[in-house]
Amino acid sequence: MIDAWIGGALALFFILCACGLVLSAATRGVYSLRAFVVFSAACSILMMFSSAVALASGHSFAIDLWRLNGWGRLSIRLDMLSAIFLFAAGLVYLPASLFVRNLVEVRFRGRYPTRRYGVLHFALMASVVLILVASDAPLFLISWECMSLLCYFLVNYEQSARMDVRAGYIMLVMSEAGFLAVVVAFLILGRGTPDWSFSSLAGMAEHLSGGAVWGVFLLGFLGFGVKAGLVPVNFWLPRCYTAAPAVFVPVLAGVTLNLGFYGILRLDAQLMSNHSLGTGLFALITGSITALVGILYATTENDLKKMLAHSSIENAGIIVAAVGASLVFHASGYAVAAAIALTAALYHMVNHSVYKTLLFQGVGEVEAATRTREMDRLGGLARLLPGLSVVFLVGCLSISAIPPFNGFVSEWLTLQSLLRSAVLLSSAVKILFALCGACLALTAALAVTCFVKVYAMSFLGIRRGDWRKVPGKAGRTQFPLAYLAVACLLLGILPTYVIPVLNRAVEPLAGASAAASLVPPFFTATPENQQLPPAFVNDFHNLGAQTGRHVLPGRGLVVMVRGSEKNPVVFAMSTSYSFVALAIFLFVTWFIATRSSRQRSVTRHELWAGGIPRLLPEMTYTATGFSNPVRVVFQAIFRPNIVEDSRETVAVHFRTAILRRRDETHLVDRLLLHPVGEAVGWLARLLAEMHHGRLNAYVTYTLAFLLIILVLFRLS
Amino acid sequence: MSFWFWHGLKKGVRSTHYPRKFESAAGVSPGRPVATEFDSATEAVLAAANCPVDAIVARGSAAEVKLERCIYCQHCHYGNPHLLEWNSDYEWTMAALGPGKYQPLPGAYHRSLHVMVVDAGDCGACLHEVKQLNNPLYNMHRLGIFLTATPRFADVLLVVGPVSENMRVPLLKTYEAMPTPKRILAVGACAINGGVFGRAFMSAGGAASVLPVDLLVPGDPPPPLAILHALLAVTGRKNPVAQMASLEGNS
Ligand code: SF4
Repeated sequence: MIDAWIGGALALFFILCACGLVLSAATRGVYSLRAFVVFSAACSILMMFSSAVALASGHSFAIDLWRLNGWGRLSIRLDMLSAIFLFAAGLVYLPASLFVRNLVEVRFRGRYPTRRYGVLHFALMASVVLILVASDAPLFLISWECMSLLCYFLVNYEQSARMDVRAGYIMLVMSEAGFLAVVVAFLILGRGTPDWSFSSLAGMAEHLSGGAVWGVFLLGFLGFGVKAGLVPVNFWLPRCYTAAPAVFVPVLAGVTLNLGFYGILRLDAQLMSNHSLGTGLFALITGSITALVGILYATTENDLKKMLAHSSIENAGIIVAAVGASLVFHASGYAVAAAIALTAALYHMVNHSVYKTLLFQGVGEVEAATRTREMDRLGGLARLLPGLSVVFLVGCLSISAIPPFNGFVSEWLTLQSLLRSAVLLSSAVKILFALCGACLALTAALAVTCFVKVYAMSFLGIRRGDWRKVPGKAGRTQFPLAYLAVACLLLGILPTYVIPVLNRAVEPLAGASAAASLVPPFFTATPENQQLPPAFVNDFHNLGAQTGRHVLPGRGLVVMVRGSEKNPVVFAMSTSYSFVALAIFLFVTWFIATRSSRQRSVTRHELWAGGIPRLLPEMTYTATGFSNPVRVVFQAIFRPNIVEDSRETVAVHFRTAILRRRDETHLVDRLLLHPVGEAVGWLARLLAEMHHGRLNAYVTYTLAFLLIILVLFRLS
Repeated sequence: MSFWFWHGLKKGVRSTHYPRKFESAAGVSPGRPVATEFDSATEAVLAAANCPVDAIVARGSAAEVKLERCIYCQHCHYGNPHLLEWNSDYEWTMAALGPGKYQPLPGAYHRSLHVMVVDAGDCGACLHEVKQLNNPLYNMHRLGIFLTATPRFADVLLVVGPVSENMRVPLLKTYEAMPTPKRILAVGACAINGGVFGRAFMSAGGAASVLPVDLLVPGDPPPPLAILHALLAVTGRKNPVAQMASLEGNS
């Protein structure tokens, strides 16, 4: 029965995808756009539906397709891990489909054929779903390659500048390199395998030697890390996100980024269960460094889109750090801790998709309305676009991990699971965990700075640039954005309902249930329950942990990990209760404030700006100024190249204007890309030395080569 | 090792006891000219003619002083035959609208008065005297009076300088930015009526021509204790002295 539902939904999805593809290509103008929106929205709803059914029932759906000669059977399997990623993808695709309409109308009409966009969009959607449900290497790799190519086309869809085209090329090269690494990883893994299905590959993994495990892990990790945006293979990401059209960036950040994590989890966590401590630590350290580097560049970046791209890197780092922690716990035999860390990773992945889509769409709106993305030129948008400013604020609060929004829950869980390293035996590992935890804590703090800057500089204050609002209907975009904002809030205040769902995917991977230990059943507690002794429940009853037990379903509203006798609670929180308390406090404050000020008169004068006659935009606090402390403190990392030109002088000592330029090269570019480029250039120059175009020389080369061959043959 | 606390204890309290006790140390105040009875009306007129800013007015055989005009040139104190009497006190703050016309701030401000100082084209003399209030000798914090940098927290606007054209708008904006109830102090001859600058093309001729001034502190510059007296008068802890002459003639 459930099989039929899931299978039907998936089949319908592919049919609707094909219909959408054909219709948006065959029709013109408004009709093409309508077909696009309707079919794309229907497809994303089907994605969510099929995965929701699978998650609710806990039942994996599997079906064999056909045989390929020499490759074995192609098969599809929607297990719990796929279902979670599929649900997240649907969650992002729905607003992204509705959002297209607005932007396409504003920007593309007449400039770019919308029909081509539709074709690419549906093809990408289908390949994403195929990646997620593929259960054998050939299907997975083919769809992965399709996805990479389609991403390249979509990024280059709106190419207007040379830089954009270059960004597309860099992305293509990187994703192809990543793809090759993944292929090699699969080839090593499946040496001598009877068929290429994931289940038999998992069987092969058990016989791998230590070196091969490291090889497969590293190749897979870096190969998939290209899509996930991990240091050091992420230099394509900020360039490409900036170049990509505003309608496509949410998909890039909310869907294809996740595919990288999916690959890492599939290959490194599921197929290879025989992990050493080292691989986990590698992932943990890489993740922490990625997070820190990402947020540092995000904080100092003034282009909204580029800033969000760097912040995606930061979030990817957090997720991978949690995955790494989980692998370490798993390798050391702490299944419960591993499950909690993995839950944190998946939770953060879902959260990041939701709020990053919200923010990228918000930036798309801002760009459509003002034709600029420079924070130093924006300002005062809250008055211009009040609805957008509210939802954007929700996005900013979520991403900077402010309760009661969703970012808080997952970042808190991640940090807490890193703190659980106290149970580990080796003190060297403990120190590494502590350092990574400090790294992530610094990241969280910088993220707050970063998004205070984003919201304050672009939405508050006064307008700094000479842009004018592009007239247009803003109402239509409010719905998808509001939907995402509500999702942010719900994911934030209902963690005890989300964790059991995530747990379905986590349990088979980690070998223990995260929900059982993270969400103590305060609502359904019985005196016989050994895990939850009545005295303990009583203590928490007095704190209010059982409030609402007769009204609400589920296990409880408190997220908590219990410890030993000596230290009964390791960590605990409840965003649900604190949200209610917050709402009540806010209401009471508002009530008292309005009551008490009823008799008073309020006089409003203009803004106090130090008494200057007229507050010019140039005088206000700029985005550059706001983030300058970060720039100065972390100068050792940024290594800026500051050029000071003081050409406008009256006399030697009397300068009327100083021109100060600051060039920065990204850390990864500086440490990896440029040295590699220089090495290749050096090699090419060396080869060019040999090619000076004289025939005699070439004949000599041939002769020498022939002689060497002959000597070798003689010897062997 | 430093024994700063011991030195401090040994020295004892050096702050002035004003307003509890009258401070009579030498040099705390330049004093002020007061109305003087002369032998004849001619002498009074001659005494009045000595004043460069017409701050002395002959009335019969008496020479009266309009203190708010006085620029403290001390011409009537030294070196001429018709000298006025000088009083060495410093409590000479007066209400701008006339004697008894000042409404002090209510009791809540008695021990918490925040003062915003605006330099409206001041030469630095009055500002320097205001600065002295922060030093250990005058120490206005012991009386609950504080300087603040933003008008949003200020209760008192202390204006020094003749209000130059460039500072007219900022001064008005500062006044508007202050929450009510608020009081305005014009400190120094310049802030009262323009002083030696008077009303000129770049000088508004005193704070009163821009803002509703409440209290005047004559002096050029007034000594710190005179300003302290004015700040105490703002909340009614001291009373402004009866006005010595009306302001009408000036503004
Ligand atoms: S001290 Fe004052 S009153 Fe005496 S002459 Fe000078 S300005 Fe006139």
